[in-house]
Amino acid sequence: MSTITVEHVARIEGHGTITVDVEGGVVRDIKMDIIEPARFFESMVVGRRFDEVSLITSRICGICSPNHAVTSLRAVEDALGIEVSERTKVLRKLLVYGSYLQNHATHLYVFAAPDFVGLPSVFPLAETHPEVVQRALTIKKIGNELTTLIGGRPVHPITALVGGFASEPDARSLEEFAERLTRLAGEAEETARLFATFEVPAFETAGDMLALVADDDYAIYEGETASLQGAWRRPVAEYRDFIREDVVGHSNAKHSTVAGSPFMVGALPRVNLSADRLAPRAAAVLGELGWSGVSRNPFMNNVCQAVELVDACERCAGYARQLLEMGGSSEPVPFAVRAGSGVGATEAPRGTLYHAYSIDDDGFVTAGDVITPTAQNLGNLEADMRAFAPTVVDEPRDRFVLLVEQLVRAYDPCLSCSVH
Amino acid sequence: MAPRVVVIGLASDFGCQVQMTNIEDHLLDVLGLIDLRYWQLASSGHLPDSYDVAIIEGAVTTDEHVALLERVRETAGVVIAIGACAFTGGIPALAALGEIDRHCAVVYGDTPPVAGVTRRTPGPVGSVIAVDYHVPGCPIDTDEFVRVLHRALQGLSDRPPQDPLCAVCKTMENVCFLERGQVCLGLVTRTGCGARCVTLGRPCTGCRGLSPEANLPAAAGVLESRGLDGAELVRLFDLYNAAREAVR
Repeated sequence: MSTITVEHVARIEGHGTITVDVEGGVVRDIKMDIIEPARFFESMVVGRRFDEVSLITSRICGICSPNHAVTSLRAVEDALGIEVSERTKVLRKLLVYGSYLQNHATHLYVFAAPDFVGLPSVFPLAETHPEVVQRALTIKKIGNELTTLIGGRPVHPITALVGGFASEPDARSLEEFAERLTRLAGEAEETARLFATFEVPAFETAGDMLALVADDDYAIYEGETASLQGAWRRPVAEYRDFIREDVVGHSNAKHSTVAGSPFMVGALPRVNLSADRLAPRAAAVLGELGWSGVSRNPFMNNVCQAVELVDACERCAGYARQLLEMGGSSEPVPFAVRAGSGVGATEAPRGTLYHAYSIDDDGFVTAGDVITPTAQNLGNLEADMRAFAPTVVDEPRDRFVLLVEQLVRAYDPCLSCSVH
Repeated sequence: MAPRVVVIGLASDFGCQVQMTNIEDHLLDVLGLIDLRYWQLASSGHLPDSYDVAIIEGAVTTDEHVALLERVRETAGVVIAIGACAFTGGIPALAALGEIDRHCAVVYGDTPPVAGVTRRTPGPVGSVIAVDYHVPGCPIDTDEFVRVLHRALQGLSDRPPQDPLCAVCKTMENVCFLERGQVCLGLVTRTGCGARCVTLGRPCTGCRGLSPEANLPAAAGVLESRGLDGAELVRLFDLYNAAREAVR
């Protein structure tokens, strides 16, 4: 039996190792070890005050920090019985979408694209395809500028507080941003068309797909959890009843199951469950790419991320204009500190993110629970690797490894998130 | 010949490496000055046997990190620690406030995984090896990173700003949080951030570490004189600085 080991899989966030045992041309076993050491966030928040939680949990992830901040704020607000203003909600959506622009542009161009043009990294791509790299940098930069405009800096928002915002951008910046985002939608459309030209293996996951959904919105900030296979919807407050987390021996990240089986979260499940709620240009691009309603091919996650870039541009331009017209205040609403428990969920770029906290009479945290998108995806990723590897085991070894790595990267895993 | 540079991530959220990719406007200039040999976040490949400059992000949380850092120190002429995790232990060092076994039980229950690492009490890079240059903050400021990198490449001295934040914040005409009855750590925190948080309406939380000029007892006295709880100073400062005893 020969063992193929890919240590520190490149171009993903965090440290993971793939091990494949092959015997006589047959894949005997394949797994992904998460060697990223455990980070104990759920334990570290215990004993900290309610208003420090978002500062701490934002540091779970440098890429989707706005999501961790906003999700933990929503959980704390749920525990304290706080209702934020409509204006605060719009600002928070913009903050979250900033991380979509950053994350999707980085994942698509820096992490995924080199695979499809046969290069080890994005750096040589700058010489061979300068216009492509320029486009990537443009989208990522606007994402950074959006999180900076709303949150105060690209990583770890400053202004997002329990109950509202410490400050917000002036009208002129919002106006200018709306115009730039509208122009950027064209670049995002080109991204979707580019990724649609990359050939991906014809492979289907057996797992279910979960995402937040809402009746009147492409759910990002709030909604109910929906299942594609089970065709059910449940309030996020019940997440512990439908998502089960188990400790797995070879991984510092827990694995999740729903109804006893692994499942997928992320852009592909979101598009599958909410394609009819995409903004017009995003819906048009999806149609242009020949989308047939539902895809179970995890490699299509890349294309769905690109479609979401178009959606994010249109939607954020709209939100920026809405802020100019709607009035109202984002100043933190008044509230009293009290004991309670609460749950918050948002769609992070990589999938549904759940935070839950219990708080005592004095406002100090007594328990915390976080389920990140990658922690939910890892079980399904491994199941997909087990199903996919045998179909390509006859390929030359380098190509075989590349294809398996591509599958891993399509899930856009964030291993440091997964071992929070 | 351009110096050969490697970028290594220990226990962190990768936020400072993300800030490095956010150099955008300067990215190609910086790449022209260095020969980037390893950056797991951005490229396939392995840590080479030989290089000149090691940029390290993240806190030390395992024995494997210690072994890696010792090897890095033997190899690299210059070691740059970037971000609060690497400089002061940062948020990961909050786990140093309790027993690691207890954290493990809270998170994993009775059956912790055996995934090939040996945990230790978290600490900054400087608690294990000598560090030549520091970029403070959570996250780092990209412009400050570029400035420190230039200083390192030119062999200039490591010179992180020394004053407490208040010294700078006062000149920016921000309304002082202490006057509004809120605890702010600008009294004791190393400046250099341009008082970004205070300017945006949030008190300083100490992410850049203790200013060498800070006087903790005096600062606690200032809080008390405003009717605030002096003990809050240290309790809040622990957020990013729980491992400060371990700093060499």
